[in-house]
Amino acid sequence: MSSRAQRRPGELAFAVALLALSLWLFGEAFKISGFSGLSTPGVFPMLASGLMVASSLAILLKALAMSPAGGGLRQFLADITPLRQTVMVVLVGLYILAMPWLGFLAASGLFLFVSIQFLWRRSPWLTALVSLAGLAAIHVIFTLVFQVVLPKGTLLQGLY
Amino acid sequence: MLESFGYLAISWLDPWLLMLTAAGTLAGIYVGAIPGLSVTMAVSILISFTFKWSVNDALALIAGVFVGGVYGGSRTAILLNIPGAPSAIATALDGYPMAKRGEAGEAVGLTTVMSVFGGFVGVAALALFAPLLADFALMFTSRDYLLLAMIGILLVGTLSGESFAKGVFAGALGVLIGMVGLDPMTAEGRFTFDTITLMGGIPYVVAMIGFFGVAEAFVQLHQLDLPAVKQKIDRVIPRLADVRRYFRVAMRASGIGTVIGALPGTGGDIAALLAYDDAKRATKNPEVPFGEGAKEGLVAPEAANNAAVGGAFVPMLTLGIPGDAVTAVIIGALFIHGLKPGPLLLVETPHLFWFTVGNLALANIFLLIFGLTGIRIFTKIVECPKAILIPLIIILSAVGSYAIQNNPVDIYWMLLFGVFGYFLKVYGFQVGPVILGVILGPMMDSNYRRAMIGARNDPATFIWDFLSHPISCVLLIAFLALLISQTPLGRLAREAWRGRRAQGRGAG
Repeated sequence: MSSRAQRRPGELAFAVALLALSLWLFGEAFKISGFSGLSTPGVFPMLASGLMVASSLAILLKALAMSPAGGGLRQFLADITPLRQTVMVVLVGLYILAMPWLGFLAASGLFLFVSIQFLWRRSPWLTALVSLAGLAAIHVIFTLVFQVVLPKGTLLQGLY
Repeated sequence: MLESFGYLAISWLDPWLLMLTAAGTLAGIYVGAIPGLSVTMAVSILISFTFKWSVNDALALIAGVFVGGVYGGSRTAILLNIPGAPSAIATALDGYPMAKRGEAGEAVGLTTVMSVFGGFVGVAALALFAPLLADFALMFTSRDYLLLAMIGILLVGTLSGESFAKGVFAGALGVLIGMVGLDPMTAEGRFTFDTITLMGGIPYVVAMIGFFGVAEAFVQLHQLDLPAVKQKIDRVIPRLADVRRYFRVAMRASGIGTVIGALPGTGGDIAALLAYDDAKRATKNPEVPFGEGAKEGLVAPEAANNAAVGGAFVPMLTLGIPGDAVTAVIIGALFIHGLKPGPLLLVETPHLFWFTVGNLALANIFLLIFGLTGIRIFTKIVECPKAILIPLIIILSAVGSYAIQNNPVDIYWMLLFGVFGYFLKVYGFQVGPVILGVILGPMMDSNYRRAMIGARNDPATFIWDFLSHPISCVLLIAFLALLISQTPLGRLAREAWRGRRAQGRGAG
């Protein structure tokens, strides 16, 4: 357990967001059965979300006691959500959205190529080779060893 | 007795299971060794792939990965000063200085032998104590299970992460995630927002993959360009004199490891650190000072973290309460296969228990074989760039999430948990308590309500029940002691005590 003197960029906002989330969840938990009894389905969710409210309040107070991170939004973008992470999250999002349409193999192949090229920055031919090898390995392991049903795409009549 | 031996030997005699255990152990060593891939991550992804297999096949593979993975972290800790897993943090303290002196091979060899030794101590403890504990656990009531689960989450929350409040938050969040869906007692919807998707609940394997796989992958993006250090490896088989010499240290560390592993919620990482600390204190005149390549400092954490594997299975198989994050994931696998871990597991499905014991022992033997061979090929694979590894992890996670129910929605959950888990990790939260909460939440809920109904919904009777039954009372005291030690009150008491001790020293 370390005690820091300075906040991380965006830590205060995150603490506030957690408190808001906890309060909202507590409200939802209350809606389940209210205070109508001690062994109703809503009691335990209320206890858990109540704990979340209390602990997120403590986290917020502790964050307030620390000195500000400084650097503002720019520092947040550099430390917490740098370009690399943001691009990767977007790529994963696109990959997931494309999967039902393109099918698992085509979507994964594209995702592998684009993300490895983005992270590794070598010659595209090498990246293509690596992605193909990775894809082949995944395909063989899943369909032969684990016998997992992989999502097929609607494009090209589920050929892939 | 004879029957138990029969079950014990299942995986030793069946070539297919033998192969699966071997493959699991080998894969586990690599997974553990590659920084950024954790055993928890591997096991959670594996569960989603193996749930269509027979229980024995799945468990054989998972036991191998678990045993191999806990050990594998030591490799990179010694060779590169990068612990491949949290349980190898203490190993790096003395292992890396040894490698720098050119004794990398010796360090790896000694680590392997002592890990296997610790592993066997843990398995023996599992075989001996689990049946006793299970008999005892038959006396446990729903109150006691509620308390045990709360102690488990609290332990994980306090021992890892930055602050107590963050640990509690993570645990409670996990409990809430576990509550989503139809209430098993009244079939009322909880947090379903009248959508059909949420009525079935959030699959916990998806939460695990999100928090341990995807979130970790995003965090790893921060350290994409760590340079790989190459080490020369010479002698791998350790000297017999060394093994004999450090036997006592290993024995002590294995004892610590087994006990820490068996405590609900604490696993190999904490066991290793405590054993290292203990060895440091117990060794009066080390040949080389600790931190500069003392072999005691290498042997103790490695024996302890492998002993913790067997230990962690004890509460999981006897009480249904996972001993650490990996067993929390494995418990999920048992649920998927329709098994109910708890005191009745040994009565209803003794074959499963003895099969697990035999399997863990077998995995340790494979560990010895793989650990002492193929080190050169090994270093090549670990040098695989993260830029290739991370996209592959994400694809594995996506397939794993999809495979559980063939439902694309689960992949969206995975990404959501991954992004949320990333922020939690960045701001100093641990995701271990979340997963423990997801697994234990529904169990705590039903046990709480059973206890409350047993007390006829009267709060006074409810509280009196906790105080008047010896088992509940002891557990309650343990829980409260743990709680108070973490709150400002406990801190004040500790400070006062420390102040008095310092004063006493000053006077003397």
